[in-house]
Amino acid sequence: MVNKNPAGSLSAPVRDRAAVATLKAKFQVQNVALVVAFFVALLLVPLIPGFKGWMASQAALVVVYILAAQGLSILTGYTGLVSVGHGGFLAIGAYTAALLVKHANADIVLSLIAGAAMAGVIGMLMALVFLRLAGPFLAIGTLGFAFFVGTVVNNVKFFEGREGISVPANHALGLPVGDIGFYYISIILLALVTLFIYSLVRSSVGRALKGLRDAEKAAQSCGVNRLLYRTLAFTISAAITGLAGALSALTTRYVSAEVFGDIWYSVDFLVAAVVGGSAMLMGPIVGGIFVAMLPFFLEKLADFAFILKGVALIAVLMFAPAGVCDVIARPFRAWRRRRLERAAAGEEPVRREPPVVALEGKS
Amino acid sequence: MATLLACEKVNVRFGGVTACNGVSLEVEQGKIVGLIGPNGAGKTTLFNVLTRFQPQDSGHVYCAGEKIDSRKCHEMVEMGMARTFQNINLFGEQSTLDNILVGAHRLTGGPLGNILSLGAARRREKALTTRAIEIAEMLRLEDELDNAVKNLPYGYQKRVEIARALASEPKLILLDEPVAGCNDEETAELREVVRHINRDLGITMLMVEHDMSMVMGVCDHIYVINFGANLADGTPAEIRSNPEVIKAYLGEEAEAA
Repeated sequence: MVNKNPAGSLSAPVRDRAAVATLKAKFQVQNVALVVAFFVALLLVPLIPGFKGWMASQAALVVVYILAAQGLSILTGYTGLVSVGHGGFLAIGAYTAALLVKHANADIVLSLIAGAAMAGVIGMLMALVFLRLAGPFLAIGTLGFAFFVGTVVNNVKFFEGREGISVPANHALGLPVGDIGFYYISIILLALVTLFIYSLVRSSVGRALKGLRDAEKAAQSCGVNRLLYRTLAFTISAAITGLAGALSALTTRYVSAEVFGDIWYSVDFLVAAVVGGSAMLMGPIVGGIFVAMLPFFLEKLADFAFILKGVALIAVLMFAPAGVCDVIARPFRAWRRRRLERAAAGEEPVRREPPVVALEGKS
Repeated sequence: MATLLACEKVNVRFGGVTACNGVSLEVEQGKIVGLIGPNGAGKTTLFNVLTRFQPQDSGHVYCAGEKIDSRKCHEMVEMGMARTFQNINLFGEQSTLDNILVGAHRLTGGPLGNILSLGAARRREKALTTRAIEIAEMLRLEDELDNAVKNLPYGYQKRVEIARALASEPKLILLDEPVAGCNDEETAELREVVRHINRDLGITMLMVEHDMSMVMGVCDHIYVINFGANLADGTPAEIRSNPEVIKAYLGEEAEAA
C-alpha cells in the first residue's frame, strides 16, 4: 500500500532530529537565495552593454504574460478551478489604466493599482456567478465572460473599438519613466506578486484553498467556508491578471479592441499556467516565458505557435500533469530527500552552529 | 449531565427511500456514545444530518442547547464539533503538519492578515504550529510531520484524521467508522487513542462503528437504529442482551433456533 518510505518514515525511526531540522533550514535558505538571485540578476540585465529600449519593452511584455499566468495559477493550481476567461480580466485592467491616463493623466503607480482593483472587484462579482458552476461548466462560463468583455470593447463607443486609445503615461511617483523604467517597474511587480503568492500559499488561506481542492468536505468540516475562500481566490486571481493588463497598456502605450478583444489571451494564460506547473511558484514564470517568447523563436513560422502551444499543453497533461517545473525539480527533490533520510539516520555530517542561542537565553 | 448533542424525530427521504424515519438520540457531555445498526439502517445519513452535511426533511438537531437546523456544515466547528470520515478524507498532497493545521482553521483569524503575514497572524501561526506538533506527538505522528499524508500507511492516516479533528479544540468529536479497514493491531491502538481523548482531554464522542470489539469496549452508551428508526439504547451490557437487537442483527431464524 505504501509506495515509498519518505524521509524519516516508519521503517527507519528518526535518530537525529536536530540534524534533520538543520538540513531543512539549510534547504529553505537555499530556496530563498535562489529566488533572490534570480530577481537581482533580472534587475542587473539593463546594465549589460547593448541592452536597448525596445528590448526593455519586449521584456516587460513577457512579464505581462507571466503576471497573468501567475494570477490564473492561483485558481488552476491552488484552488483547483479552471478559468478560460482571464483575458477578460487582462482587458479590464488594461482599459482601466488607459482611461485613467487618458482622462486624468494619472500616475503610473496609481493606474496599475486601479487596473488591479477594478479587475479584482469585477472578478469578485463574477465569482458569485461562476462559483455556482462546476467543472466544464465553469470553463464555458468563464469563456463566455471573455467573449462578453471582447464584445463590449469592440462595440461600446467609450472604449474606442479598433481605433484604440493611446496611453502617454510617463511618470511614476513624480519621476519620469522611459522604456528602461518600465522594465524596472515590471520586474518589481513580478517580485512583489511572486512574494505575495509565496506568502498566500504558505498561509492558512493557502492551506484552506488546497484543502478544498483535495478534499472539499473535509475542509468544510474544519470550518473552511467554501464560497468565501473560493471567491477570495477568484478576486485575487482576477486582480493579479488585471495588474498584468494595466502593465501591458502602460508599456505599449496603447490599448485597442484588436488586442484586448481577443479571447486567445485566455487560452495563452491557461497554457502558460498548466505547462509551467500551476501549483509551483516558478511554474507560471517558466510557462509565461515559454508562451510569450514562442513567436519570437519561430520567427517566420510564428503562425505555428498555436499548434506548438496546443501540442505542449497536451503533452504536459499526458506526461507531466504537474508541469514542466515539477519535472525539472524532481531530481533535486529526490537528492534532498536522500540527504534528509541520511540525516534522519544520523549519517549526514551536518555542521552544527555553536549553541549561541542557549547562552543568550541564560544571560 | 448536560446534553451536548441531540436530535429529535429526524426524517430524511431520498426519493422513495426513507433513510431516517423519526430517529432521536442524545449525547451526554463527557461520554462516548456509539451508534450501531445493520447495513442500510441510516447511520451514515443520521451522522451527516448531525454534522450538517445533509439537511433533514423534518425534525430538529440541537448542539449545546442551540437549535442548529439551519446551520451550515462549515459552521459546526465553531460550535465545538469536529468530525472524521469513514473513507479517509485527508488532504493527500499536503504534509501531516499542514493537514493538522487545516484542522485548526477556525483559530487562524481573518484571511487578509494571514495572506500578508502580519505580526498578529504570524504569532498565531507560530502558536498553532506548536500546538499541532504537540497533537502529532500525542498521536505518535511526530516523525511524519513533513511527509505527504498520501504516502503514510492506513493506520497512520486514520490517526491524522483524528489529529486534524483535535486541532480545532472541539468539545465533541463525531467519528464515522474510526476502525473500518483496520487490522487488529491498528484497532487496538485506535481504541486506546479514543479512550485517551475522552478520559484525559474530556472530549465527548459519538461514533458510528461496525466493529463490536470497538463499540462494546469503549462506549458508555449505545444507540441501535434499524430501518431509520430507534430500535434500542442502553449500556453495552444491555444492548448485548437485548433480544430486539439480536433479532435485527441475526434475523428471525437465529431467534427461533
